[in-house]
Amino acid sequence: MSVPLEPRVADRVRALGTADLVVGIPSYDNVRTIGHVVRAVTAGLAKHFPGHRAVIVNSDGGSTDGTPEVVAETELGSPQAILASHPLPPTLKILTPYHGVPGKGSALRTIFAIAERLSARACAVVDADLRSITPGWIELLLGPQLEHGFDYVAPLYLRHKYDGTITNSIVYPLTRSLYGQEVRQPIGGEFGFSGRLASHYLARPVWESDVARFGIDVWMTTTAIADGFRVCQSFLGAKIHDPKDPGADLAAMLVQVVSAVFDLMETYEDRWGPIREPLPVPLFGFPHGVGLEPVSVNVGRMLGVFGQGVRDLDEVWGRALEPATLGHVRALAAARPPGFRFPDPLWVRVVHDFAIAYRRRALPREQLLRSLVPLYLGRTASFVLATAESGAEEVEAAIEALADEFVWQKADLRERWRGAERE
Amino acid sequence: MLDQVIRTTLAEFGERLRAFAPNVLAMLVILLVGAVAAGAVRFALAFVLPRLGVDRFAERSGLGDVARRAGLARRPSRTLSLAAAWVVLAVFFLLAVAALDVRVAMDLVSRAFAWLPHLLVAVALLLAGGLVAGFARRSVLIAAVNAGLPSARLLSSGAHAALFVLFAAMALEEVGLGQRVVLTAFAISFGGVVLALALAFGLAGKEVARESLERLLRRRGSEDEDGLKHL
Repeated sequence: MSVPLEPRVADRVRALGTADLVVGIPSYDNVRTIGHVVRAVTAGLAKHFPGHRAVIVNSDGGSTDGTPEVVAETELGSPQAILASHPLPPTLKILTPYHGVPGKGSALRTIFAIAERLSARACAVVDADLRSITPGWIELLLGPQLEHGFDYVAPLYLRHKYDGTITNSIVYPLTRSLYGQEVRQPIGGEFGFSGRLASHYLARPVWESDVARFGIDVWMTTTAIADGFRVCQSFLGAKIHDPKDPGADLAAMLVQVVSAVFDLMETYEDRWGPIREPLPVPLFGFPHGVGLEPVSVNVGRMLGVFGQGVRDLDEVWGRALEPATLGHVRALAAARPPGFRFPDPLWVRVVHDFAIAYRRRALPREQLLRSLVPLYLGRTASFVLATAESGAEEVEAAIEALADEFVWQKADLRERWRGAERE
Repeated sequence: MLDQVIRTTLAEFGERLRAFAPNVLAMLVILLVGAVAAGAVRFALAFVLPRLGVDRFAERSGLGDVARRAGLARRPSRTLSLAAAWVVLAVFFLLAVAALDVRVAMDLVSRAFAWLPHLLVAVALLLAGGLVAGFARRSVLIAAVNAGLPSARLLSSGAHAALFVLFAAMALEEVGLGQRVVLTAFAISFGGVVLALALAFGLAGKEVARESLERLLRRRGSEDEDGLKHL
């Protein structure tokens, strides 16, 4: 289905004809940062791809703070700029840590459509609220496509050991075991994609679904892997955002991301079933470590919520968890910090049980995933306590050990998934 | 003279009885057929419904929960087959009564059939109330636990009770049982609870209310200090 563009935008695209490179910047009320992002992108394109015809696309969600005007006024030099806007879904609520872009799926769809019409070879998307973007990011997102023929470039950020706990404890290890590719950060705001992958994304019938609204990043990564495109990673360094939305609701975030992952398990059940061992994914860039600001973690609160879950959610967890799993979870509540531990095998079992319960519709799906929050907080508290004295390498080793546990238990998941299909 | 009156009376009684006997016989036959039909319906549904996945659907939709809370320990398919059998028997009973062709009985039968739609709506309201109340109970419970509220169970039970009482009141109003009493009792109870809470927070429990709010805000404050980025 063709993506409608505003007449002036369609005219502009026709006037440009074709382009080698497209860099998209979805935005919504990012007047403070978008100028820097546009200048960094411009500099990156000029420095690393001077011989290529490049286009910057700003897909704006109806900003009221003058964001598109800043893009228009920012000194661009050689890259042409297209200003596009996409309509806001009337009842859309964006619950996403990717700051302030309501309807990000719509913004990306517009960028993909423009890239397709311009017959672009290599494309990238960067967030509009970045403070740490450098011109080198553009080379790292576009270079692997132009020089090595990759279709999807996932970002790899330098993060604090306690950042990205949903990614580290659920999304990364689960998608690694399912789809067999070690994409370390499958949810990233910045990524590269080839023109043919953009056309593939546009052809998928997901743009009106919840997956495209709330799980767009993990959907893009999973689709690229599962549909056989060449995938790599690029090390971008630290990612620093403009702190606009500090109060993202954890439960809503967990529901959105995990429901996207579980929905994709159903979509691609024929693909992930036969995969046995994950393979490493090529990495571009120069991984390095820098000092990161310490992160405060309220372990007591997490354990309090977990303990209350054990006391009060027995009836709900009984519908999701196998009896043996539930019994082991109950037994954990007796432990106190610093000795509290949520073992890897038990956590994998919990995630797999919830995936099966999601498939069987044991409960309304949103209720089911919201009831995962206390278990997730218990697991996170355990991880924080176990790695309190550990450095970045030891923490990464612990995450890889968890990922291996997901692989070892995959055969059981496969059998139970087939059994749930038969019900 | 006396024996003639007695003989005439007995003869007339005998006549009436002979005239009425076919109706009584028809009633007995209809009752017998109804019992057989009810039994057949029960066994047929008990065989078919599990194979159609009714029990699985009831568990997934929450109707199984509603039934268990109502004290129905049987599987939903068994409960439905038993209920269907009783409905068949009730219908045949009404037909049997109609076969007597007695005016009072006819009146009763026509009133029963006129009342049946209201009964069905009331049953539907109770089922819907059970589902909605159960859904709300689980939602409030999960949200309260995730927020770390210590009275999570109390809040969820309160939500469940309030919704179920509302639907039950609507069901009773539908069947016309004590309409004014039910509505008045509901309004008094609900209004009373609201007034009591307002007074408690406003007067008697204002210190407790203040401390609870302070604890909640302090908890929210310490949450803000948690610098984890979860994604």
